[in-house]
Amino acid sequence: MDVAAAGDSRENSAVRDKRQHLKIADCSTGFKTGPCVTYLSLPAELIMDALDEHLDPPVDLGDESDSSDNSSRKSYKSKLPLARPLCVETKTESGFQKTYRICLELIREAMLHHRWQEAAQYMASFTEILEDRNKVRAQPNKELVWRISIEILHHLSKSTVKDYNTIYERMKHSGVKHYLMICLEHSFHLMLHGQIECAKQQLSIAESWRHGKESVSQLQRIKLIQAYRSLLDYMIWCDKKSMLSQNNSVESDIQGMHTCFRHASVNLQEILKNPGVWDPFILSYVEMLEFYEDYEEALKVLNDYVYDSNFPPNPNANVYMYQFLKRHSAPEKKLMKVLRNLHVLVPSHELMLEYSFLLLQSEKTSDTQKALGVLLEMLDFACWRSNMGVWTCLHTAVHRLLLQEEGEVIVHKQMALRKDWWPALHFTSFHAKKDLEENAKLLEVKASLEKILCPGRPLRYTAERMPT
Amino acid sequence: MDEADTAEYREPCAQCAAVNWGISDEGRFYCRSCHNVIERTREVMDMSFTRDSNRISWISSKSRTRKTDRGNVWMLCEVFQFILKNQADALLRLGVSPGFKDDVLSQLWRLYLQKSQQAYTRNPINSFKFKQKGLDSDSGSAADSVLSGSFTDTGSNLHSSADCNAESGSDRGRSGQSGTCSTASWKRSRSLMTMEKTLALIHLALVWSREALTLSDLLRLVKDDHVPYVTAYEQLPEEMKLCGRVALLFHIKNIPSHRSIHKMAQGLVMFLQLPAFPPINPQTLLHPTLLSLRYLTDANLPDELHRWVCILMDRADMANQKRHTLDLASHPALPLYDLQAAALIIVTMKVLFGLDDHTEWNLSNEAGSHDDLGDLFSFRRWYRLVQAALIQAQQRRNQDIARKQWKGKKPFFTDKRDKYFVMKRRRISDNVQMSLKKLTSRPAPVQDVAPSSFQFCWGSEDGSDGPSLQHMKLGKVVSLNHDVSTPSNFKYWHPPLRTCKPRSCTSHYSIMEPTLPRSFVWMLQLFSFMLDVEPWYLFEEVLEVERRVFGIKTPQSGQQIPIGGQNETGSNTKKWNRNCETKQDSKSGDPVRKPKS
Repeated sequence: MDVAAAGDSRENSAVRDKRQHLKIADCSTGFKTGPCVTYLSLPAELIMDALDEHLDPPVDLGDESDSSDNSSRKSYKSKLPLARPLCVETKTESGFQKTYRICLELIREAMLHHRWQEAAQYMASFTEILEDRNKVRAQPNKELVWRISIEILHHLSKSTVKDYNTIYERMKHSGVKHYLMICLEHSFHLMLHGQIECAKQQLSIAESWRHGKESVSQLQRIKLIQAYRSLLDYMIWCDKKSMLSQNNSVESDIQGMHTCFRHASVNLQEILKNPGVWDPFILSYVEMLEFYEDYEEALKVLNDYVYDSNFPPNPNANVYMYQFLKRHSAPEKKLMKVLRNLHVLVPSHELMLEYSFLLLQSEKTSDTQKALGVLLEMLDFACWRSNMGVWTCLHTAVHRLLLQEEGEVIVHKQMALRKDWWPALHFTSFHAKKDLEENAKLLEVKASLEKILCPGRPLRYTAERMPT
Repeated sequence: MDEADTAEYREPCAQCAAVNWGISDEGRFYCRSCHNVIERTREVMDMSFTRDSNRISWISSKSRTRKTDRGNVWMLCEVFQFILKNQADALLRLGVSPGFKDDVLSQLWRLYLQKSQQAYTRNPINSFKFKQKGLDSDSGSAADSVLSGSFTDTGSNLHSSADCNAESGSDRGRSGQSGTCSTASWKRSRSLMTMEKTLALIHLALVWSREALTLSDLLRLVKDDHVPYVTAYEQLPEEMKLCGRVALLFHIKNIPSHRSIHKMAQGLVMFLQLPAFPPINPQTLLHPTLLSLRYLTDANLPDELHRWVCILMDRADMANQKRHTLDLASHPALPLYDLQAAALIIVTMKVLFGLDDHTEWNLSNEAGSHDDLGDLFSFRRWYRLVQAALIQAQQRRNQDIARKQWKGKKPFFTDKRDKYFVMKRRRISDNVQMSLKKLTSRPAPVQDVAPSSFQFCWGSEDGSDGPSLQHMKLGKVVSLNHDVSTPSNFKYWHPPLRTCKPRSCTSHYSIMEPTLPRSFVWMLQLFSFMLDVEPWYLFEEVLEVERRVFGIKTPQSGQQIPIGGQNETGSNTKKWNRNCETKQDSKSGDPVRKPKS
């Protein structure tokens, strides 16, 4: 909804477009498991919100006394950046407008109460609004009809793909403004139903669509469409690859694969240069490049993605980089550089454990010190509280430091800020009991560290063995 | 079914030269008289068949039917004449007396045409014209017949414009003499006929023929499509083709309000300089005596109240038939029959029950405790019953509004380019509608219910809104005082009087509404729902009736009566009661006197 709302306003500010960009790409992370599920099946509440915006302020029929209420409501509303309300009762409301205002209210009511049959009935009479001669209202009305009827179809058990197609196609061709948006959503819908080829066809049609100024102003949307088309190319490529691994005799498949790769790479190369979060697209591109053993290009793409300052900081980018380097057994120094970056972004990331391993391996005091810092920061997060690996690493690091001079000072320095709240986080009798139940060894490790980390504090982390 | 499809095909059969086509099961045309099957097939427009991914494109069939001849030009007023005729026919079908169309409406229409100098004059003003669709045959005769014959089916044709002048002059007495001066002042823009004006004309004609249809009834019929209005353009004859900007006059997006039509009718009365209307005596259904009885029944109030409404009417001097008969000489204002009757009932309720949020409930408490017979009218019981029905009816009306279709079966367009867009929009909306309709199990409820003059249905039969309270007795609400029944409630309130500029102020209802007693506001809502008017409009009428009853002059600026807040003019009411009694004494056969039985 957000995307559409952003796209509708005439002034396409760059900032907003960027945000819009991010959002769509964001939603499609985890593409392989369920492509765009998050995006497509917009929860009904979201649509309701949009509807609310159209309907506000709610008109209380038959009660004229709330003029003061209305004004107070208005003044309250004005603080929020809401979309312009479309269907408000005006003084000079014609019967035609009144019909549609009330119809829209009834549709909303029915949708909120999940009476989808009723909503569909009202929707059927609401479609007449498409014949309104008023050109100003036509565009928002089309969007209303498109979105609400699709939402209703989602909830009607009898709806078929054909019904969806009818509505998507009709609304697509009812005007040029929403063409690309509807194409994109249509293809998402087809993807959800496993019709990858159809979805790709839809996107290809949309890609070749040109309509004067409209296609210029919708540049961002065209890029998205290209990106998703390439992603679908990749999926087809994957299918062919798995076929190939099953029976590796068919030669035409290899060629087909290569065609797919070429189609995908042409677009992806261009699109990935635009700042944004392109996680699934990067992954698929890198996978294809690796398959064709074009490691340099893959590394370059990843490098750009990680280190280009135009891109928003993205932990995933570092993760992909790390994984790529590891696959190709890059030197530890490079790995550590990537992990250091990641540490800045996400101190609680699971790769931090590996980072501390690497740091401890180097046996330099400064590195051990760093490892201590990394591990302590990890343990600041409750999710690592009872992780055996982290505590053993910490144990190693602390004991290695204690062997050296000033080791204790270093540890205390690190603990200075934490000593107030760590006892409550890690060292209470409750934790002791829990650790004992779950992992007796953890209890031992933690108990041994207790005195060193938090000296001079009466701790309740007593390892009294409960009679079992 | 066949007739509808073959109606367009008028070619004679090649073998027997008869024009009698039928359609075989395969959809092919055959001659019914010689069974000759021809090439032509029925055009099937199956909306359920929609191609999946093909876009709707407009295939323009290049000038297959375009003919070079320009055809005749229709006048705008001729179009309206057809529409008026259709509307009148629809009213006749609904049971209006046949004289309404031929004797009243057609005369009014002719008078209008003459006064606005559109016809029956030597040099008619140039009104907008429409092109007539080129037809090979009988276009001329159809065009000629419009102004003469087609309107009146019974054959009372107008003879010529000159004759008509004389005729209307003699028929209508005064109308001819003062006509010329007013036409000059009637500006051209105002003289343009509009769709709203058709309703105003019909309303005037209905009042003239003293039909039981009030203006709110007429508007309700229009709203429910029992009288063609929104899609009136569809019923125009085939050869009459609307085109150009002016055609948008017939593209209706709104049903005019009670107030605007009333104003327009009032304006028409002045413009046409109509003579005195036939008297509205208490036996006519438009007179408040009978109209209030109808509204009492509709609101499920006991019949006994009607006596009190009549007393109030006498008191306000509203029973006088002159007050309800429009006559430019003595009483030039067109009365609001429906609002007046409703306002009378509300004021009666106010007199009897107080409607101040206390008295009526106390009275119903008493009625409830006196449970001896069970047929005592209790305001509380009535309120509960009607409130439930009102909420339901409001919901029903809302749903009907939401389902109302404003488009006609025929698409409406003004020119060729417009036609392209209109057709495209129509197909898109039809397709989406079809695919949604296919998925809904229940068909939309059928709207074709016979129109009724009642909004509610009270009684014991199925589908009624609740038990009827018609036979309830007022009981303690009325008490005997020296053999004269008087209301036991002695208090009467009215909203604070204030100065008001009659020109700029329209209504203070919205400001006043929060301070008014709830039960009174609810009464207003109930009756304004029944008449389908705005509550403030009815409120104004209630104030008007109160002024009449209590003899308060219309407040003028500077003449403010210093009463703050809601005042309970109990003493006033008492005085009125006394007055009432003295009046009653002087009269014989007083309706208030307790019946002897």
